Order: sequence, then structure tokens, then C-alpha cells
Amino acid sequence: MIPGRIVILCVDDEENPLHLRKLVLQKSGFQVETATSAKMALDMLGFAHVDLVLSDQLMPGGTGTELAQQIKSQHPEVPVMLLSGVNEIPPDAHYADRFVSKVEGPRALCEHISEVLAKRGIAM
Amino acid sequence: MNVNEKANILMVDDQPAKLLSYEAILGELGENLIQARSGRAALEQLLKHDVAVVLLDVSMPEIDGFEMADMMRQHPRFQKTAIIFISAVHLTDMDRIKGYQSGAVDYISVPVVPEVLRAKVRVFAELHRKTRQLEVLNQELERRVDQRTRQLQESERQFRTLANTIPQLAWMADAEGRIFWYNQRWFEFTGLSPEQSQGLDWRQILHEQHADRVLESMQRSWQNGTPWEDTFPIRNGNGEFCWFLSRAVPIRDSEGNVARWFGTSTDISDQIAAEERIKNLNTQLEQRVTELETIMQVLPVGVTVAHDPACEFMTGNQALSELLGVRPDENMSKSLDSTGAAMYELLQGGRVLPADEMPVQRAIATGKPVPTAEWEVRRKDGFTAQILGSASPLFDTDGMVRGAVGAFFDVSSRKKMEDLLRERADLLELASEAILVRDRNGILHYWNAGAEALYGWNRNEVLGKSLHHVLHTQFPTAKETIDSTLMSLGRWDGNLVQHTKDGREITVASRQAYKAGTESILEINRDITAQLHTEEALRRTERLAAMGRMAGIIAHEINNPLEAITNTFFLLRNHPSLDDEAQYYARLGEEELLRACHITKQTLGFYRESQDPVDVSIVDLLDELLELQVLRLQVSGVKIVKKYRSRGMVRGFPVELKQVFLNLVGNAIQAMPNGGTLRVGVAERKSRVGPHSELCVSICDTGLGVRPEHAKRVFEPFFSTKEAKGTGLGLWISKGIVQKYEGTIQFRSFPLNGGNVTCFRVIIPRAQQPEETEPSMIYAGMEDIPPVVRGEIDSR
Repeated sequence: MIPGRIVILCVDDEENPLHLRKLVLQKSGFQVETATSAKMALDMLGFAHVDLVLSDQLMPGGTGTELAQQIKSQHPEVPVMLLSGVNEIPPDAHYADRFVSKVEGPRALCEHISEVLAKRGIAM
Repeated sequence: MNVNEKANILMVDDQPAKLLSYEAILGELGENLIQARSGRAALEQLLKHDVAVVLLDVSMPEIDGFEMADMMRQHPRFQKTAIIFISAVHLTDMDRIKGYQSGAVDYISVPVVPEVLRAKVRVFAELHRKTRQLEVLNQELERRVDQRTRQLQESERQFRTLANTIPQLAWMADAEGRIFWYNQRWFEFTGLSPEQSQGLDWRQILHEQHADRVLESMQRSWQNGTPWEDTFPIRNGNGEFCWFLSRAVPIRDSEGNVARWFGTSTDISDQIAAEERIKNLNTQLEQRVTELETIMQVLPVGVTVAHDPACEFMTGNQALSELLGVRPDENMSKSLDSTGAAMYELLQGGRVLPADEMPVQRAIATGKPVPTAEWEVRRKDGFTAQILGSASPLFDTDGMVRGAVGAFFDVSSRKKMEDLLRERADLLELASEAILVRDRNGILHYWNAGAEALYGWNRNEVLGKSLHHVLHTQFPTAKETIDSTLMSLGRWDGNLVQHTKDGREITVASRQAYKAGTESILEINRDITAQLHTEEALRRTERLAAMGRMAGIIAHEINNPLEAITNTFFLLRNHPSLDDEAQYYARLGEEELLRACHITKQTLGFYRESQDPVDVSIVDLLDELLELQVLRLQVSGVKIVKKYRSRGMVRGFPVELKQVFLNLVGNAIQAMPNGGTLRVGVAERKSRVGPHSELCVSICDTGLGVRPEHAKRVFEPFFSTKEAKGTGLGLWISKGIVQKYEGTIQFRSFPLNGGNVTCFRVIIPRAQQPEETEPSMIYAGMEDIPPVVRGEIDSR
């Protein structure tokens, strides 16, 4: 872990999007860890330092909002952003710090991340 | 000369002494003694007197006794006068014969024996007297016979006149019944001549049904001598039969034998016809009386008759006795119960009427009809009834009031019914449905308050007019079909399109009922325009919701790869290995990708810049977005006219509101490629549907206009008139957003001054705001939103 670099844990069940998102975020200067399920993400949070969790909403074995809820209880200091391709905001969306459409584009995504981190007092 | 009259005795002698002696001798006879001293004097005396006996001296100078006697005998008057010759000289037999030849009846010779002379003169005087008496009697007898004969002739003439004058046929028959005489009337009636009638066989003039009987009864009377009477028809000259009453009575002589028969036949045809008529009239009268009595008894109207001017005795029919609680056979005038109290009393205006003010009594007292009026009957048993009645006096043949009739009708139930009907009419007035009654030609007879409210027509304006003419009704099927359904089934249900007074088109659910024989059709029409709109909007909403669910699925399948591709292009474009040409291609691809992302974000994705609604000024928002359009407006030559009467404060999400008005302004500008005027207005006004106020934002252009056939489709998704330039989603999205604010978008497009004016108006209620937790997806929660989208086209 390189000190000073923001660590983002990306969670998605689909390999390709997860990999592409990781590359985009790395290009934007973030250190990126990946998990392919909510369970795996929680496990990783148990032993690794993570500044922000960016998770897909719809995943088998647990949705993004469920994950956000668990993180809020186990690691309340870690902000959670949810990405969704569907056009419905789930009723438990408020567990996440931000709920973002997948088609906003890479720049908007980075802006959202900066804003969420800024709110948590984490400087990039 | 009667018995006591003195007979004249003429004494003729030329010697006065002899005359004196004769006088002395005859004096005691008491007869009238006349002296004559010569034959000449004697003749004079004879002419003067009716002389019974002449004492004649035979020997006298001048004319002797014999000559004198001859002269007397030559005169007819004296031929039978008794002459007694007295002679002293010539008393021979020859003298005596001569004397008898001269007409002497006796001779007396001298000396005269007084007793003989006296006796002889007495005899002749007496004889003369008797002769004279006989003569008088004979004359009397002849006079009487003459008188009698004349009387008989008169009587006979009168009888004939009478027999010919009487209207009856008259005839006479001999003792054996052979008719030998008929009167004139007989010939006139039978048309027979006197010759034909002589010896006529009556069978010829009798009706064959009666002939045998009549002839037989006649024959019996002839034989028995008893009067005959029979009634039978007799044939007249025209061959027609007329009824006659015929009679015959025997005329008997002094010995009681039948001398002849006198008969008459009296024409009784008229009498029989009159009797027949009277009989018929009587029968009819009896029938009428029976009918009238029956009518009286079954009539539901109480009828009473006062039979005297004092109203002492009044009768009534069944209905009246029931109405008054009196026995039918009772005197209605004196209907008292066992205690002497009246069975009923009559009230008017709550006042008990005294006897002389009761209607029948008043009709009698005034002699005039009492017009129809209402009274109340209050019976002793507590029963009361409202009655309608009238009375009229009855007059006798002298025009005096002899009584009166009264008629009374129980209208209690009718009054109750009237109250009930009035209540029902009030209910009809309360009904919110339009209730109307029309005849088969559509002419309106009833129009309730609901109809006035629904159609805007006052009942005074439409009653008597044709319903369909007033409402311009459009029928779902041919009117004739509806009419025939009504006539055959008695009812018809269906929807009608009609027009209100102010020209609005409304749809009504119409229930129509026709009751056979009434000529009236009842129509109950309920306005279902709003309901139909609701239903249509619901259907549209359901369609949209289905599309929303579809869009959700599509979004998931599109957005995920879109993100991956976007990220790929992001990585690719910034990859250092790319040469300029490759970078150009990557940028082109990325731009197109961004367009795709933009569309999915707007249509299939959610968009919310903030979790919480904020206060937004529509005026600020409009100014901001018009500022951004300045360049486009200038290029197109479009003039802006702003009319803000309110800041247009709304609590909501600025971005989606901006999207609504950007869409509307954008469309307006695009509709005016060759310039025009864009009018933008904001106003606050009182809501037309509720107590709250509402915000009204209008955006009008003078551009191409909306074609009528497109008017109803402009809010549909994927509908565009801009061919390739538009997505066809702008207005659909805008409408969704406005509905989220429980608002509406309306539009009108109409030609004006050679161009078109198209106005979109967004109306947002001020008091109600979208819930904060409301999902921001444009189609979310639309099932709950009332139908408010309304497209209107004014083809003027």
C-alpha cells in the first residue's frame, strides 16, 4: 500500500466491467482493489485499508445497498457509493453515501468520488 | 067549430010573423038565429055566416024556396048545407020529391008543430057541428102528417151528412147482415166504387190471417142479434192493411125484431202506433232509470238528492253513505245517531258549516248552482276526509225550486298523492342527474334542476322544444333503432354525445324508459365525460407504466454495457500508443457513445441532482434558459415577449423543471424557423378544481402550428414532427415530470392572422408538492396521478 494514495474497493460480479472500471480509476490516480461479490468485499474490508467502496447495485448473493448497510454497521468510517444500470432507486438507497447512474461517464464518476471523499474529510 | 059553439040557423020567410014564431020555437035551442025576409037576403046571410041549417019557406015572392035551394046547391060551399022546407000550401008528394031533389033534407008542413021543428033543427044543428068538428080534426091530422114527413126527411139528411162526415167507416145491413149502404169514407178508404161495394164479399178486404175469424164472429152476431165488435186489419186502396176497431149494433122495430144493423169501423193504426211508441218510451225510460240508479250506486262519487225545498228528505248513493258513515237507506238530511247527534259535519276553512250553509241547502236557497269547492267531512267516528263537491237546484215544471242534487268526491288520497308527487318532484330536483321527460317527437315536457346544471339551459328556455335540437345529440346508432327499441322493449340504455349551452361537448350515460300508452319518454342522463377522460387517462397510464417496466429491463441491459464501453473508450482515447488518426476515431466513437448515454440517462435512467426538493422560481428558471437560447433566437429572428405576474415559486427539483421548460421553449423556437414571437407568461391564479391556487406558465409561438390529426398524439412517446431531429420523447418526458407535481400540460393550436398560434400551458398546484421520498424516475408512481393531460385543438 502506497501511503497517500486513495484506496477504492470496486465490487462487481461481472469481470469485464469491473476490470475496465478499475483501469479507469487507476488512470485517475486511485489505488484500486476489486471484489466480485459483497461477501468478498466485506472480507477484504476486514483486513485491508479501504477509503471508499464503489459497488454495483445488482449482484447475485447480495445487492449493493445491502452491502452498504453492512459496511455502515461494521465499518461506518468507510463511505459507500453505489452504481446502478437500472432505472429504479431502491428503497434502502440511503445506506449509500451516493447513488450514481452507470452511464454518467468516467469524469462524472471521479467527480462524485471526490465529492463523497471531501464530505468525509478525506483529501485526495 | 067546437062542441060548445053556437050553430047559425038561417030562417027565411017573407012573413015577419012567421019569422017571429020560428024564433019563439027555436029560441030555447040556444043557437044563433038569423032572419032573412027574402031569398036574396038569405043568400047574403049565407055568404056571411057558416050556416048549419036553413029554414026555408017554399012560397015566397021573387025567389021561391025551390029556386033558392037550387041556387045554394050550385055553390060548392053550400052543397051540403041542411035545408028544411016549410010549406002551408003545396004539401003533396010531388012537392016533397021536388024538395028532396032540390037538396032539402026535410019537410015540415003547416001548421008547424013546435016540438017537431025544434027537434029537427036541433038534429041538423048538431049534425053540422059534428061535421065541422070532423073537418077540423081532419085538417089537424093532415098538418101533423105533413110535419112528421118533413121531420123524417130532415133526420134522414142529417144522418147521411153525419155518416159521411165521421172519420169512421160506416155501413148498414139488413136483418140478415147483407150490407146495403156504405158511407163516403168507406169508398175513400177501400178505393171501391159504390157498385163494387154492393154485395161485397168482405174476404176481399180482410187480411187472410183474420178473415175466417172476423166473418165467423159477424155471422154469429147476425144470427143472435147481439152487438158485434172486433179488431182486425182492413186493406186500403193501395193494398196496405190498417188496423180497425169494428162494431155493429142491431136496430130493432117496435116489436123488438131486428130491422137492420148499423156498423162502424174506426182506424186505430195511429192509436196502435202511438201505444207502441209509448210502450217503447216507457221501456226506454225504465232502462234509463235503472241505468241511472245503477250508475248512482256504483259511482265512486257521492251523490245526494234533496226531494223537497226544505231538505227534509234526502237520499244518497252507496258512495255517499260510505263517505258520510251513514246507512244507505237512511235520510241523509236527518242522519242522527241514537243520541240524536249528527253523524257527520261539514267544515270549510276549519269552520263547521251550519245547516243553511251546506252546499245542497244553499243551492235550494239561492236557486243557483253551488260551484265546485273543497270541504272537509268530519264524522262522528273520527274519520275525516277532504272532499270536492258541487250542488245544483232542481226545478219543477213551473220553474220553482223543488229540491237539489249534490255530488261529492273524496279527494283525500289524491291530496296525499299530490303531496307525495310534490315530494318526488322535489327529489327529482335534488337529483344530480339530468332528468327529463319528452314525447316521441323529442318535445320536452320536464327538465329538472340537474338538467339545468348539466346542460346550462334553463327549463323555461327548453320546455316545448325538441330535445335533440337543443342538445345537438349524436347517437351511437341510428335514432330510429333507438326509438324502435324504446317502443318494443320500453327502455334503452346507452351513451350519447351532446352539447351544453356554452358549446361544450359532453358524453352522457342515458337511460330512457317509455311506458306504452303514455306517449312520454323518461330520460335520465349522467355526465360521464370526466369519467371517460379518467378511464382513458388510466388506460394511457397503464400503458405508460408497462412501458416503464419495459424501459427498466432495457435500461439494465443497455446501461451496463454502455458503462463498460464508455470506460473502454475513456481508456482507449487516453492511451499513449494511439496515433492521431486512431485518437480521432476513438473520440468520434466516444462522442456518439456520450449521445447514447445522454439519451438513456434522460429516458431510461434516473436523474436527480439533489435528494431534497428546493424552492425554485420558475421566472428565474425561464430567464436562465432563455439566456442560453439567445443565439438561436437571434438566428431565427424570434422576438421574445415576457409577461411575468408572479415569481412562480415551486418546491421541487430545478433540473427536471428546467428540462420541462427547455423542451417547450425548444419546440417553440424550432416551430419558428422563419421568425415569429415567443410569448412567455407566468401567473398565479385560483384553481378551478379546488380551494388552492395554482401556477400557470404559458409558452406560445406563432410558428407552424400543430395539425389537428397530431393534436392528440403530441404527448405520446416517440411521436415527433421533426423527423430525424427529435427523439419524440420531449413532451412525453415533460408531461411525466409535470404530472409528478400533480400538474397538467394543455395546449391549443389555432390559425390567427394568416399564421398559427400554438400555446402550451403548464399548470402546477401551489399547495401540493411532490413527496420528498418520491423516486425521481419520470414514470415512477404514475399510477396514482390523476388524469390531467389534455390536448385541445381549436380548428378555427
